[in-house]
Parts: sequence; C-alpha cells; structure tokens
Amino acid sequence: MDTKFKINDEIIVDMRSSTGHCRTPAYIRGKKGVVERICGQYPNPEEIALCKSNPEIITLYRCRFKQVDVWDNYSGKVSDTIELEIYEHWLKNA
Amino acid sequence: MTNLKMGPHDVGGEKSIPIDVNDKDMTHWEKFANALRIVVSSKRIITLDELRYHTEALGDKYFEIGYFERNCLSLHNICIQKGIYSLDDFIKIRSRKISEFNVPIIELPDVKDIEHLHNGKPHKHSEKDFQEDESGDGPPDYYFDTLAIAEIFVSKGLITNDDITLKIEQFDNVFPNRGKAVVAKAWHNDSFKKELIHDAKAAISDIGIELETFADIICMPQTDEVHHIVVCTLCSCYPRTLLGMPPSWYKSRSYRSRVVHEPREVLAEFGTIVPINKEIKVHDSNADMRYLILPPRPSNTEGLSEIELSKLVARDYLVGVRLPK
Repeated sequence: MDTKFKINDEIIVDMRSSTGHCRTPAYIRGKKGVVERICGQYPNPEEIALCKSNPEIITLYRCRFKQVDVWDNYSGKVSDTIELEIYEHWLKNA
Repeated sequence: MTNLKMGPHDVGGEKSIPIDVNDKDMTHWEKFANALRIVVSSKRIITLDELRYHTEALGDKYFEIGYFERNCLSLHNICIQKGIYSLDDFIKIRSRKISEFNVPIIELPDVKDIEHLHNGKPHKHSEKDFQEDESGDGPPDYYFDTLAIAEIFVSKGLITNDDITLKIEQFDNVFPNRGKAVVAKAWHNDSFKKELIHDAKAAISDIGIELETFADIICMPQTDEVHHIVVCTLCSCYPRTLLGMPPSWYKSRSYRSRVVHEPREVLAEFGTIVPINKEIKVHDSNADMRYLILPPRPSNTEGLSEIELSKLVARDYLVGVRLPK
C-alpha cells in the first residue's frame, strides 16, 4: 500500500475548520504527533454523510500524541499519550 | 480552539460534571430504537455517517433530548429528506400507532372486596396481599415515531419485523457474551492471546465469531506499565457486536468530554487508581477502528476452565475503566 506517511513519521493535524460531518475532533487540530500505525483505506466519511455515490478512498492512520502536547496544564504523567484515528487529508508533515 | 468546534457533539476536552458510573438498564423503547437504527445502517439503507451528520445538525435540540430520541429524530429527518416517506404518510401511521395504545382505563375492584375460594372455602384478602401487575411510565413520544418508521420500512420491504426482534435479542443475549468469551480464551490460551493482540478481527473470526461489522478491531493488553482506556468523544463508537450496548456512562457527555484530558481523575471515579508513575494511554475511538481492552488474568485462577474464566470477565474491564482484582 502506497501511503503518504509511514509509521513513526512526525505529523501535524491541520488547524482548519470544517463544515458538515467530520471525524477529526477540534481538540486535536493543530497538534503534533507521530503515526502509530496505518489502519488501511476507508471511504471519506465527510462524503458518505452527504450520500456521495463514489466517496473518495482515503488512508486512515492511528496517530499518537503526548498529552502534554495536547492540553495546557496537563497534570498526569509526562509520557501519557492519547491516540486517535486521522484521515490522510487532515495530516501534514511536521 | 473554540472556533474549531464542529457542533454540540464535539465535546473532547470540555470541563464537565462527575460521571454517573452506574449503568442504566435500557427500556423496551430504547432497545427498539437502537435495533431499528442498527438494522437500517447494517443493511446500508442509510449509512452511519449520514445518521451521525443529521444528529450533529440538530443544533440546540441536541442538548434538549436524550440519546435514543436524537437517533430517532435524525433517522426521521433523513427519511423525509431522501423521500423514503412523506410527512403526511408518517403522521397518519404515527396517529394509528398512538391509537393502538389508547386502551380504556378499567375501574379495578377494591382489593378488600375480592373474595375467592381456597380449598373450597371462601377466603378474603387484605390489601397487602396485592401487587400491581404493571407499574412505571408509559412509552415516550419518540417510541411512536420509531414504530411508525419501522412500519413504513417493513411495508416497503426494506426490513422485516423479525430483523428488529432478532437484533433486540442479540443485543440482550448474544453480543455481550462474545467479548467475555474472547477474553476468557485469551486468559486460557497463550497462542490465542498473541493472535488477538496481533490481529483481533482475524483471531475472533477464527474462533467462529462473526462480528458483522465493517470496522476493524484493535486489542490493547493492560500491563503493569501501561493502562489503556477507550472513549468516543464525537458520538458513541463501540464494538457493539462484540460487547453489546455501550453502558450509559460511555455515552454520557461527562465521560466523553473528560477522559481525554483528565483520565486519572475519571478512572478514580470508577474506583480505579492509576499511580502517577504508570502511563495512561487514552484511545479516542473516533473513526473506523473499534477497541477491545484485554485485562490481566485475575490471580488465583489457575486450573479454571474457559467457561469458568468467562464468568470473571466484567464488561467494564474491556473498556478499561476497571481492572480485575
């Protein structure tokens, strides 16, 4: 599978706003992390939600973020992480 | 950051109230609404993303009504928008459904006056001998919506009544036991455990459990060094065909908003104390993966069979909010 990012690549989630249905939560936009694994290719949920007949197929990545990089004043352990799934069109090279 | 929020559903990171950690049993109308939604989406009549989109588009209404009513309203809005039925037809069928519930109230005899025969002799009862057969509230308004929607779908041949009945039964009796069986097998059989962690969907399929889901399953084992916990901040993504219905707290705004930014505090509310020197990994189940947390095998269980072990598996372990003792 030819993917734009590979495991352990440093990425930033795009800081743009969105309209309609989207699976990229606001809290993770603009945050820097690494690719944890490549999940495979899935139809773009933003297009399925609008009933597009041939939604674009996009690579989905699981990305890992340090909690201290996501939240101001995170009070837990420095190595605590949060992992979530981000579609390729929301990721940029860090 | 605030201006990036997508809508009322995008709650990750909000400050919120303590979590009610006790699961609430589902009423029949909640089970019916849930089964209807799952049947409709698993038959691809309406996709999950369409349903989510219309739920998110409810605006202020999102806050005013409960989870199952929201699901029902978004399903109805899509049906109207797609022309699956007309509003006139819906109202007509809904009115008929309501009328079927309009049974006359019968005056019951005074219990003190009830006399019957015991061993051939007249016998009187006192009030304390009687228990009302039925109690509780009647169905909420949205139940008539779901009944009407289901009838229309059945009349168009899109689904059958059996589809819904079967789904309710599976959620009650089949799905909740699958995850427990899988975990018991992993506790019992080390090579299955390795396979489960390596590729959970394949391992589960290999033991004959058909999950009927498009999503992939990822299994994370709890260890002495790392504690895993799962949430869906955007809605209520959960491996339903593996674990059954998500508990009410999993769907709650307080759990969804807080776990991502204060996992230790949230875990403490479930009675799970994770020391500061142990790492916590939060998994936001926000897209196409679903998660199974593999708890450690409880101590002093050597020699137990898989069946015996499965009785020690609690649902809360598999989401990561509690650990076996």
